[in-house]
Amino acid sequence: MDPDAVARAFVEHYYTTFDANRAGLANLYQEGSMLTFEGQKIQGSQNIVAKLTSLPFQQCQHNITTVDCQPSGAGGMLVFVSGTLQLAGEQHALKFSQMFHLMPTPQGSFYVLNDIFRLNYA
Amino acid sequence: MDPDAVAKAFVDHYYSTFDSNRAGLANLYQDGSMLTFEGQKILGSQNIVAKLVGLPFQQCQHNITTVDCQPSGAGGVLVFVSGTLQLAGEQHALKFSQMFHLMPTAQGSFYVLNDIFRLNYT
Repeated sequence: MDPDAVARAFVEHYYTTFDANRAGLANLYQEGSMLTFEGQKIQGSQNIVAKLTSLPFQQCQHNITTVDCQPSGAGGMLVFVSGTLQLAGEQHALKFSQMFHLMPTPQGSFYVLNDIFRLNYA
Repeated sequence: MDPDAVAKAFVDHYYSTFDSNRAGLANLYQDGSMLTFEGQKILGSQNIVAKLVGLPFQQCQHNITTVDCQPSGAGGVLVFVSGTLQLAGEQHALKFSQMFHLMPTAQGSFYVLNDIFRLNYT
């Protein structure tokens, strides 16, 4: 497993799914998954997807600037992303940073155990 | 273990040590620790401290804006920090985001297994 390749593939998949069909993120999280979104703590795939699908915009586009990754010591992988988030109808894009802790599934792919999202205000 | 308390104590200790005596960070890392600093990958406490001590400024001050944390599933704690970094003599502070993966030591404290640092350019 090449960690950089895994991280890149995950980041592409995550943000294209987010931008096209937020409900489709459900199979990237499990019951024990945790999301902290702008300081709000949410636990479990159902609650996480409910939060993401109810964010107050219809359409958005993530543009990724940096992706860093490291193995986390438990067969998992840490992915640290920064980029911009353009909401439909808004003049200026928002800047954000996000970290994921990915864990392997028995089927040979990865799910998100930990997810922390923060906007970077100018 | 209360992850929030661990994270707060660690962040306080890490940045005050960084700002007063970067060499003192050595005992927060071990042989297997990894740092990715603005995309550059560094392995092991000695190399990490050499990198940090070798950064091209004498004095700096970190001001922390946000701290988020979650348990990482291996007895560890993930900490996600954003803030500003003021270098002595520079007019404007830099913005940064940083994530740490802390693992417990045998003595009951924590060390940094994973560390990823990125400046947030406006």
